[in-house]
Amino acid sequence: MFRQKAGWRGLSLQTRLCWAGFLFVLPALLHLIAFKFYPMVEAFRLSFYTYDLMSPPVFHGLENYRAVWNNPLFHQSFWVSVKYMFGVSIPEWFLALALALLLNRRMPGRPLIRLAYFFPIAMSQIVVAMVWKFMYNPLGVVNTVLGSVGVGRINWLATEETALPALILIGIWRGIPLFGVIYLAGLQSIPKEYHEAATIDGAGPWQSFIHVTIPLLMPTILFVMVMSLLSAMKVFLNPLVMTEGGPNGTTRVLPYFIYETAFAYHRMGEAAAASMVLFAFAFALTLIQLRLLRRGGVE
Amino acid sequence: MSRKALMRWGGRLVTLLTIAGIGLTLLPYFWMLSSSLKTGSEVFELPIRWLPREPQWSNYPDALSRGAFGVYFFNSTLVALAVMAGNLLFCSLAGYGLAKFRFPYRELSFRAILSTLMLPLEIVLVPTFLVVRGLGLVNNYGGLILPLAVDAFGIFLMRQYIKDLPDSLIEAARLDGCSEHGIFWRIILPNCTPALGALALLTFRDNWDQFLWPLIVVSKDRLKTFPLGLAQMEGIDSAAYHEIMAIAVIAMIPTAIIFLFFQRAFVRGIALSGLKE
Repeated sequence: MFRQKAGWRGLSLQTRLCWAGFLFVLPALLHLIAFKFYPMVEAFRLSFYTYDLMSPPVFHGLENYRAVWNNPLFHQSFWVSVKYMFGVSIPEWFLALALALLLNRRMPGRPLIRLAYFFPIAMSQIVVAMVWKFMYNPLGVVNTVLGSVGVGRINWLATEETALPALILIGIWRGIPLFGVIYLAGLQSIPKEYHEAATIDGAGPWQSFIHVTIPLLMPTILFVMVMSLLSAMKVFLNPLVMTEGGPNGTTRVLPYFIYETAFAYHRMGEAAAASMVLFAFAFALTLIQLRLLRRGGVE
Repeated sequence: MSRKALMRWGGRLVTLLTIAGIGLTLLPYFWMLSSSLKTGSEVFELPIRWLPREPQWSNYPDALSRGAFGVYFFNSTLVALAVMAGNLLFCSLAGYGLAKFRFPYRELSFRAILSTLMLPLEIVLVPTFLVVRGLGLVNNYGGLILPLAVDAFGIFLMRQYIKDLPDSLIEAARLDGCSEHGIFWRIILPNCTPALGALALLTFRDNWDQFLWPLIVVSKDRLKTFPLGLAQMEGIDSAAYHEIMAIAVIAMIPTAIIFLFFQRAFVRGIALSGLKE
């Protein structure tokens, strides 16, 4: 089927189409091989070597994994990441759905209200980080507002108990509009007749929500669950710019740990070993996601 | 009060709450804007000062002079546009190939492409850096752009959209003697402008915002992107918040403009990512 004959025009239409389709996909495929698959294989290989970017890599067996496993900072990072992922995602699941339900109601000025809620999606992460760092400043607006209800000044980003929750709050605030849009699209795809039928059958708004909306929205709900975890897993900019992983490593998430190990301490092999853990997270979540995509009618 | 009237008032209350919620969503941005026009001493003034006494427009030129922000702005725009162009071209090509042709291992290719969704840069950071270093692209625009030029999400989006285009469109062009790449440029691309628009906006936003990758691959000041420049300024001069906020306002302008002009395509693009269609 793949035999090249003399001249493109000399091929049968079917063979020509076969080649054309393959050639259309080829550039993207080559790119992904060079910048995704090869690096992944390379990361796996590197995780068995000691490498500092200067001298040539030396094979060291499972030494990197042992070093990472015995590094208390890695364990701390692992749990910081887990706390961050679930701390951000779980509230997002509910609050984003609530927002979508509110925005799906009929009300005056609805397009404008939606616009206002969705505007933050367009905002840069760095802008968000800067504004919140400013607001969390000991003299900043967060303390001023809380001070007016009698809460004392807290140095949010420099206190061990508050730094991670402060970052989690930003994550939630940032994620609600984004996942709200996805939920809203899901809500809009539910035919109105279903709700009308439920009302005729005597269902109140709550019953109609539980028995009609939720089951029909299930694919979207599952998708949002996975996506929110995946995107929280990758958080990096906020811990770097706002807390530098501190105080005492309480905001050093896994991507930050990997970045630090690789590019501050030049322990590439250990960083690669630690990325394998992050990969395991992503792998599990993506398997779930691909299953959902397939159920959503991809194949 | 009758039950019906109660429901109506309840509905109005919920609407009011919805509108009030906008405040919580947008307040930080308002605070940023207002602070960017304050004097250094007004920024932390008590009791809280929501608006500056006198807008300090000079904060903007002052802040901009603290770094090569013109260069950073240019770099970010260039990177975002180049990555966007790469994604539009390669993702629509691949999406077309996967949606409308049959060839051996097509399903396998598609699965392989989708599987790269679980390899975000954060995971393959070290080896990607080594690949780019091997290509001699460290401290180079090529190094900033090339690794990001194709993304599996874009391929997925385009494939889904092109799949729904009628086959008769393509067959008619083929019967008229149109070449295969001619069909792509003249039939396929013009018919998927909504998907292309959504993809363009999402890639532009994500890449104007690139931080981690430029942080690693670029160390020369003249190649830094705007987010890097902003973080760097904040690190050096963490007291001058009115000026940092001025730069932050500038950083949000490109994506804000794009959102306001193309909000429909923007929102649709995000909704499309939610496995719709």
